[in-house]
This record gives sequence, C-alpha cells and structure tokens, in this order.
Amino acid sequence: MASLTQAGPDQAFQEHVADGRLWLQYCDDCGQAVFMPRILCQHCSSLALQWRPVSGRGTVHSLTVLHQRSKPNHAIVLVDLDEGPRMMSRLPEVAPEDIRIGMRVQARIDGEDGARAVVFDPAEDTQ
Amino acid sequence: MSTPNGSSLRGGAAIVGVGTAGLGEAPGFNAMDIQALAVREALDDAGLKLSDVDGIFCANMSHTFPVISTIEYLGIQPRWIDGTNTGGSSFVAHAMAATLALQAGLCDVALICYGATMRSGAGRMVPANEQPTYEVPHKPRYPMTAYAMSAAKHMAQFGTTREQLAEVAVSARLWAQKNPEAFERGPLSIDDVLGARMVMEPLTVRDCCLLTDGAGAVVMTRADKARDLKNKPAYFLGGGTASYNRAASEMPELTSTAAKDSGARAFAMAGMNPSDMDILQLYDAFTINVILFLEDLGFCPKGEGGAFVSGGRIAPGGELPVNTNGGGLSFCHPGMYGVFTLIEATRQLRGEAGERQVKDVETVLCHGNGITLSHQATAILGAGATL
Repeated sequence: MASLTQAGPDQAFQEHVADGRLWLQYCDDCGQAVFMPRILCQHCSSLALQWRPVSGRGTVHSLTVLHQRSKPNHAIVLVDLDEGPRMMSRLPEVAPEDIRIGMRVQARIDGEDGARAVVFDPAEDTQ
Repeated sequence: MSTPNGSSLRGGAAIVGVGTAGLGEAPGFNAMDIQALAVREALDDAGLKLSDVDGIFCANMSHTFPVISTIEYLGIQPRWIDGTNTGGSSFVAHAMAATLALQAGLCDVALICYGATMRSGAGRMVPANEQPTYEVPHKPRYPMTAYAMSAAKHMAQFGTTREQLAEVAVSARLWAQKNPEAFERGPLSIDDVLGARMVMEPLTVRDCCLLTDGAGAVVMTRADKARDLKNKPAYFLGGGTASYNRAASEMPELTSTAAKDSGARAFAMAGMNPSDMDILQLYDAFTINVILFLEDLGFCPKGEGGAFVSGGRIAPGGELPVNTNGGGLSFCHPGMYGVFTLIEATRQLRGEAGERQVKDVETVLCHGNGITLSHQATAILGAGATL
C-alpha cells in the first residue's frame, strides 16, 4: 500500500498559507512548481513534492466582470504567477473597470482558518 | 483489424434514426418523459422498436446515474451500457463509442439519448454540484466564467472584436429563422447583440446560448444493417476525443482547446481534411466557442477566427455553413447540446432540412464541447458516396 503524506495537499495548503504567504508545491525531480495542490507532480508523476513559500508576484492573464442586477459588478481574474502556475482569483481592492490584462499583482492570503484563499493586490514592480 | 488511427471504424456504423421532443418549453414534464418521446421518434424514424435496442449511451446533469435511470424508464435490458459523462460533448463522443461497440458485436442497435427540463424546472442553468476547489472561493459563475475569460484573452491576444463575436450570434439567428423548431427566430443585428444586457464581460446575454427544455435521440446500427433500413444512412467516418483539464485555470492555453487533437484524430480516421467538409455543427454554448473551434479544427489559423466568421461566411448563403439549425444560440440549448449536432447533421445529409437545407451535403463535421472548454469530441459523418 502506498504510504500517505503527513497531511493531504488541500489541508497542507491551508496550514502553510496561514502565515500570510503564498506557498506552492515544488517537484524535487523536475523542479517545476505545482498548483492546484496535488499528491503527485502533473509534469513528471513524481511523489517528491515539497512546500515552499514563493514571491506571490504575478501578472493578470485574463479577466471577466460579472454584471448582476442587484449586486455590484464582480471581477474575476486568472493570474500567471512568476513561478509558473496560473490561478483563478480576484482583486478585492481594485474597481473592476481598473483591472487590465498584463497588470502586475501581488498575492495576499484572505479568509478564515481552514478556508483561506489567494487574492491579489496591484504591484508596481516589473517582471 | 486494427489500424494506428482507428480507421477500421470508418464507415462501420451509421445513424439510421433521429428524434427530438419538448424543444423550447415542456412544462409539467420531466427529463425522462421528453427523452422517452425523442427515443420513440428516433426509433420510429429508423423503423425499429424499443425492444431492438441492445446498446445504450446516455449522460445528463439531472440524474446521478443517467444511463441506469434511462434503462429503467424505457423498460429495456441492453447488453452494452455506456454512461460516460464528459459534459455536453458526451453524445458526439458516444457516436464513436457506439460505432466501436457495434463493430465489435457488443450490440446491434445503439441508442444515444439526452433530455432536460431546466427551463421549466429550475428556470436556470443548473451547474454541476462539484466545482474546482481553488476556483470556487472567487465566486465564478459556471460555466460562463471560463468562456468569458477565454473571449477576453482572445480579444487581447489577437485583436478579436465584440462585433466579430456578435457575427456568430447573428449567423446562428439567420439559420434559426429558417428552422420552424428554433426557439428564437426574431430579428437580431450585430448592434442588438452589442447592446444587449451585459452578463459577463465581454459577453452579453446574446453571446450566450439559450436555456430551453429539450430532448434528442439518435439510433445507430452497423453499416450493413443500415443499408436495409428506410432512411439514407449517415455514416460515421471518423471521430476523436481529447481533454487536458477540468478547470479553465488549468487550461494549458486559454485561447486554444483540446479540439486541436480531437479534430486531428477525427480527420485522420476519416482520411479527410477540413476542406472536405461541406457543413459544420459546432457546439456554440457561447459565441467565442465557434471562433475557437474553427481555429482549433483547422478551418482557419489560430487568432483569425474572428475575421473568418465576419461578412456572413458561416451564415445562410455563406461559403461555410455552420450550425444550420440555429445552434445552441438560437435553436435550443437544454444544458447539454451535443446530441443536436448529430441530429442536424443527419437531417442535412438526408436532405430533409426544409428551408434551411444546404445543397448537396455529403460531409458534416459535428463538434461537441464539454463543461468549461474541458472536453472536446469530434465526429465526421458522411453520405453513402463518401464511403
């Protein structure tokens, strides 16, 4: 029987990001970053994945704005992290009309214990 | 006899019966009711009986075990049962799976069917219960968010315009105006699409498929039996499926789909090229889909889909008819649309499509899309002359 890791990937993600930083899994064998969290590397099938804090810097890859009749417009983005993976997220502090594809952003951990998610704020830096 | 591209399946089976029911609104009926009506119509069309059906292929979003509930409702005891659910593409994939099962002798009469009553029931598109864990906290609206983000990226990357997206909706409406069974047949201009209620930028409500009730059924047999039945067979010439991801955020490229592979596989099996296709039935859940699939299936280079659909090229009278029934945008869209691509292809191949009939149709490409650009299935159907 295959042995289990200390915590499942989803639980481990929650435990790591509780310190306010974005953590990703890195593959010891192929060196690539992995997101969403997994038990094996989707690039090379290795089981040797290690959690590492990362820069949290990224670039808005695409966006859409949901228009709702009785609620404010809601922007959803895809962010390409400098470390490679892409993730769905949002920019809670930016008006939807001010978000642009190509905008540089910085990750922030949002939410309560056990239900933390990665959101982004604008960043001034260049890649 | 096996061949590297599966070409032993080419021409091995055919669609011999098609049926629909409850298109538009079917208040007071459930999904299984109207599905059964479509099944009866398809079997009557083929000149076969329910008791002849010994292979079944079924998927839906209303039942946890769609194919089992369907077997029970219809009162059949099939010997080959395939409930593969890849979303709205399922039924196009089923056409290849049915050909395989028929060729292998696992069944003699294969039934592919679908029914849903989301419009009369929930009154909205009911998404799957389980959605991608790391997307859900950001409150996307499934399935639309994925398509809107792909469209926005396509516009940024290739200069595609909202007017070009609107061309797809207008072309579909012009076809629907020739189809008495289409749900939306009123006039629609590019300005109407652009000025319609914005739902998810850059998509207005007119860039989005309808939400209707509806059921569709297709009956397939081996080619030898098909020739003895009453209708002109619509032969299965080639098929392919492909999938790389479930979530839009996991797509290798947001503006490029697995249709590249499903299409290449289907063309290889058929021994044909895009230029050999007379008409196309492309699952148009959103206007961007048609642009993506025209590119990915090889009808135009990547990034040029917007220009390709402009000037009425895919509309009635255009050089490449696409979605001749009016598509999911204007004909019907009961949650999963794939089966209707097969039904319209068959009617066009038989020459039974009435006012919307395209002249001398001998080849049709059907393309199904599943979930959020997550699964792609292509099937090429042809008239007897293409065998």
